[in-house]
Amino acid sequence: MIRYLRLYGYFLRFSFSRAMEFRFDFFFRIFMDTLWYGHHLAFFWILYRHTPLLGGWTMDQMFIFAGGVFLADAIQMTVLSNNLAMLPNYINKGDLDYYLVRPVSSLFFLSLRDFAADSFVNFLMAIALLSWSLVRYPAPLGAGAIAVYVVLLLLGCVLHYALKMIFTIPVFWLHTSFGLREIFWSLDRYTTRPHGIFTGWVRRMLVSVLPFSLIVSFPTAALFQGLSWRLLGHLVGVTGAAYLGMLWLWSRGLRAYASASS
Amino acid sequence: MRLFWSIAGVEARKRMSYRADFWLSSFVAFGTELGVAYFIVLAMVPVAGRLGGFSRDGMLLYYVAIILTARIVWSLDLDREISDDIYQGALSRYLLYPVSYGVLKYAAQIGALAPAIVQVILFSACVPFVLGLPEGIRITPATAAMALGAVAVANALHFLVTYPIRLVAFWADNCWSLLWAHRLVATLFGGLLLPLAMFPSWSQPLLNALPFRYMFAFPVDALLGRVTPVEYATGMAIALGWCGVAAVLSAGVWRRGTLQYTGVGM
Repeated sequence: MIRYLRLYGYFLRFSFSRAMEFRFDFFFRIFMDTLWYGHHLAFFWILYRHTPLLGGWTMDQMFIFAGGVFLADAIQMTVLSNNLAMLPNYINKGDLDYYLVRPVSSLFFLSLRDFAADSFVNFLMAIALLSWSLVRYPAPLGAGAIAVYVVLLLLGCVLHYALKMIFTIPVFWLHTSFGLREIFWSLDRYTTRPHGIFTGWVRRMLVSVLPFSLIVSFPTAALFQGLSWRLLGHLVGVTGAAYLGMLWLWSRGLRAYASASS
Repeated sequence: MRLFWSIAGVEARKRMSYRADFWLSSFVAFGTELGVAYFIVLAMVPVAGRLGGFSRDGMLLYYVAIILTARIVWSLDLDREISDDIYQGALSRYLLYPVSYGVLKYAAQIGALAPAIVQVILFSACVPFVLGLPEGIRITPATAAMALGAVAVANALHFLVTYPIRLVAFWADNCWSLLWAHRLVATLFGGLLLPLAMFPSWSQPLLNALPFRYMFAFPVDALLGRVTPVEYATGMAIALGWCGVAAVLSAGVWRRGTLQYTGVGM
């Protein structure tokens, strides 16, 4: 474990020094993410000018949900995004060999090697926005409930990672990631809307087979309605199943990998 | 002009040869966009009520129309093509051509519209069977013709507004973030996320003056019979005015950029 932490420390140092070489991009990215936050908040603010409740939540609750979306996105963008974007290239060009011969888990190395230091400021901004939405909430939430919420949100991030990998790994067989990647990004829109607005079979799909609603919406629901064993079991069960499914798919993919000729 | 259409034709053939995953992802993207909008509308608009001048079905039709319009206005992103030409030094050969680089790229964008147009026709054909023609919406040959004109201007306006942003690649290592930022602003203030009638009344003059409305909401409003002929003429004049401003700005950025372009890539 310590070996992995030390290795991750090297990844961080290298990523920060590289990010500072491309300063324009560094500031452009901060600007873009700031606009994205404003875009989301404005969307909900305008909606709530016309309705007191959306999916059963008030505007104050929706701002906390939006803060959770920002934090989950920032974690994904900062820690994983660059790495997973490069994965199809490594597989198709045979560059995966470099990672497979390392004396550490190939999945760890491939998923965490590049820390997007240019997104790190946005990660801090996301924390600030989530804190702001929690502080301005009119009723007391309690430190314990907030701690549980943060843990569930991190669990949601693991689920998001597993889902993204499940949509990426088929590149071992398909040799192109274009279609599945686009489908993932389309479906990921459901992560940014509260599960309470969905009804019928769409809702059932979004909490089971394509569990995008579990990533942020369920942790937020736990914050307001209290954590029940049913909700926790559902979130842990689906996340565990998705993660194990991803590991199984990864091992099958590695077996199908034929190095440079892949 | 013949060269323009020849380039557009080449690009169209290239784009239409995309494989099944492209079409599958397009269907999923359309379904997801519409699905999210559908449930937001259901949660917002009461069965018999109205919001922003729309009934529930009227607003659903608005979302279908604006999502399809956006496909034509955005075409398929050529954002990276322009920046890659600059980064990799491929721009050099275009500088030798006796035609403007911007015109060549716009021709390519028009050609890249082919799959989007096929998708729009396919999806539009399903709409009457699903939604019918909601109360208060009037689609006539005249409104369809007005919408077609507005979409053509919207496509040019979008290209011209994003062109100088793409040319930032002369100075910056990655202009992708700026293009994405533009997209966020355009979707919000263009009415793609929410009908502009839902925005506060104090913001309406500003929304009418900015170029984003004319990229998305204006053609849809024209199609649905929500603008009078006078409003249409005013809107088209504002859109064309913005096209002029963006073209002048693009020319300036292009001139400054090519002065420092080294042709060896970055």
